[in-house]
Amino acid sequence: MNDVVTGFKWVGTRPIRPDGVPKVTGRAMYAADMAMAGQLVGKILRSPHAHARIRSINTAKAAALPGVKAVVTAKDFPDQKFEYIGPERVAVNFWHVTRNIMAREKVLYEGHAVAAVAAIDSIIADQALALIEVDYEVLPHVIDVDDAMQPDAPLLFEDMITRGVEPTPTKPSNISKRLEFQIGDLDAGWSQADVIVEKEFKTAAVHQGYIEPHACVVRVDADGQTDVWSSSQGHFVVRALTAKLLNKPVGDVRCSPAEIGGGFGGKTVVYLEPVAALLSQKSGRPVKITMSRDDVFKATGPTSGGSMWVKMGVTKDGKITAADGIFKFQAGAFPGSPVMNACLCAFAPYAIENAHTVGYDVVCNRPKSAAYRAPGSPISAFAVESVVDMLAKKIGMDPAELRRKNAAGIGTPMIYGPKLAHGGYRETLEAIINHPDYKKPLGPNQGRGVASGYWFNGGGESSATVQINADGTILVATGSPDIGGSRASMAIMAAETFGVDYSQVRAIVADTASVGYTHVTGGSRVTFATGMAVVDASKKLVDDLRARAAMIWDVDVEGVIWENGHAKPASSNVGDFKPMSLKEIAGKAAQTGGPLTSAASVNAGGQAPGFTTQFCDVEVDPETGKVTILRFVAAQDVGRAIHPSYVEGQIQGGVVQGIGWALNEEYIYDAKGRLDNAGFLDYRCPVASDLPMIEPILVEVPNPAHPYGAKGVGEVNICAPMAAIANAIDSAIHRRLTELPMSPPKVVAAVDAEAADD
Amino acid sequence: MGLARVVLSSGFSRRYTGGKREFDIEAKSLRDVMKALDELYPGLGEHLEEETTVAIDGEIHDQPGYFQRIRDGCEVFFIPKLEGG
Repeated sequence: MNDVVTGFKWVGTRPIRPDGVPKVTGRAMYAADMAMAGQLVGKILRSPHAHARIRSINTAKAAALPGVKAVVTAKDFPDQKFEYIGPERVAVNFWHVTRNIMAREKVLYEGHAVAAVAAIDSIIADQALALIEVDYEVLPHVIDVDDAMQPDAPLLFEDMITRGVEPTPTKPSNISKRLEFQIGDLDAGWSQADVIVEKEFKTAAVHQGYIEPHACVVRVDADGQTDVWSSSQGHFVVRALTAKLLNKPVGDVRCSPAEIGGGFGGKTVVYLEPVAALLSQKSGRPVKITMSRDDVFKATGPTSGGSMWVKMGVTKDGKITAADGIFKFQAGAFPGSPVMNACLCAFAPYAIENAHTVGYDVVCNRPKSAAYRAPGSPISAFAVESVVDMLAKKIGMDPAELRRKNAAGIGTPMIYGPKLAHGGYRETLEAIINHPDYKKPLGPNQGRGVASGYWFNGGGESSATVQINADGTILVATGSPDIGGSRASMAIMAAETFGVDYSQVRAIVADTASVGYTHVTGGSRVTFATGMAVVDASKKLVDDLRARAAMIWDVDVEGVIWENGHAKPASSNVGDFKPMSLKEIAGKAAQTGGPLTSAASVNAGGQAPGFTTQFCDVEVDPETGKVTILRFVAAQDVGRAIHPSYVEGQIQGGVVQGIGWALNEEYIYDAKGRLDNAGFLDYRCPVASDLPMIEPILVEVPNPAHPYGAKGVGEVNICAPMAAIANAIDSAIHRRLTELPMSPPKVVAAVDAEAADD
Repeated sequence: MGLARVVLSSGFSRRYTGGKREFDIEAKSLRDVMKALDELYPGLGEHLEEETTVAIDGEIHDQPGYFQRIRDGCEVFFIPKLEGG
């Protein structure tokens, strides 16, 4: 839609994705499609209680049922040391992880796994589950984050002392951690402000909503060698976690990636693989476990719900002088919400000299939260971008213009310490301000809202191998599961680097034994980091091709250049040689040193953050509270779009998920802490008929750290829709909605209440 | 070899350096920076490697690498590690 002339042959074009045909013909192999001879059906018994002590589990009757080949409980898993390992935000405590895989002392949420069976068929497996006797002592539970922080709240862990507080508290609580970040002098900032707005906000826990439930097949051989086929966002991470949770050497576990039917962050952790491995080890047969949709909702990570307070000050002429925020996030049953990201991203789009954020990570009787698209950032953005809109309305300034006046740019100090090294935000604002529809008049009960978002994007470790086949075709293998069309973008970058046709390149995702370590497909890191590995490996091979041509021509390698997929003499002084194609050189591979292969591994750094600015028009039915999205335009700095169609798809997908988060999606619990809406009929994701065409605008500010200028594009797009819609609703009916989802009952209640003061 | 201004997060400095956050360190590479900090606070180097994301003149590197170059006058911030979805 917004193709930019780049001078590249393939980068920026829209060829057909290599995984397209198997997907549209139904032949793509997802984890649930895998079947092995002798395979057993694994099933998991899950807690009916939100919070209960497990007095005993008796599996004898289940184990004795004919057709049952294995039964496991937490006792079969090695216990793990209680320690937080690794970086602050992503610190993993395997004492927690193993208890999330299989409950030990207590169940902490409805759906928490307590036992598993493997049987010859699904019916017998279900019968076996029914025969497992679990004696529970039901305990009081707590669902809401504010309730969980109260001093008299039921404790999930009787010995949890809040980290990050000095002096160290003496009493346990559900607050796992407190974080604080600050730059400048808040008091000075407030004193400069002409207008100050403060407001409280709440967001609901929402699920990533991937269409494909978790599934795996695991085979453990007699010598302990373990093969895993599963759907994940990172089979190397599946390998690492499975090995750790079973006390196996990493080298004994081989993980093969299945096609993945969506992840959005939720498939960066394991739930099933270690359980299936234990069942396979006990039974001596391969075991397949497939979650139901009910399991997915009840037992896998949504993102956190949040309770927030944000205060910001602005001068009459539009300079934001100070900003403060408190963010309290549900971690679910175990510590580890994305509240730190929320604290760091909240005010990141803006050059604010005085800013402060505090975050609380709070456990409660919900499934453990997992990453979801720019984890943490959309939640704080809902609060902050709503307040920015209120500031704009109070001083009578266009909301996009207020943002432009305060836009962070290269050199802006960030609350997390360093100065911003990349631009791109201002360009997204200008794309929106200059959009022909931005000033279009609206009708009654219609309103327009603007919001922005920030996300760090990722880099880190990735690997690729490249092989040239005898016919001159090229195989690119990486360790990055393909969620958003990355095989196409890898093939494009390889084709561009080799100077050959895209159709000559086949990109695949290789298993953990066939390519070097590669971190997860998450953090919007793959096109950037894995792309760098592909380009590096391709460049190495181009050098090898030049050397092979030099050998064939009997000249120095410096006398050979590579252009448009051919070796050519660097000058007429080298000799009168006809350009030699990749295919011709490949045909002489044996004579010139053997197969043409290369590998590259990178720890990619210098990724640029992502910025988005979006506007939407809504119409509110004041009688029913229904909010109809009339128009949605999303501008995003994408660096350089390697495959523009898939970049646009990422933007549209993120916006749609944001619309669902804004208007409908939430976990609804009954009085006993049981989830009432564990299915797509009652957990209402937007469908095509709910939506207008989402118009993506690709703003291209290339990242010089990437060979083709790529920036991560997968996440920041979900940061802005919730606030954009809230701001549009406020413009339409003069009611400020501060709690997600802004579902019809809340909108009607707001209509019935007094008009908002902004 | 250049003189780098090195800054730790407040949480990190509270835990490992008695609250001292800023350092001036002569270095050619990030390896030199981490070695120098490890000499001042034994064990700190490993914590930096394992637990931080580093920003060199604002450029974010998810995982600190020994090979990352340090130029005279540059700013090196060790910040908490980040995670994406």
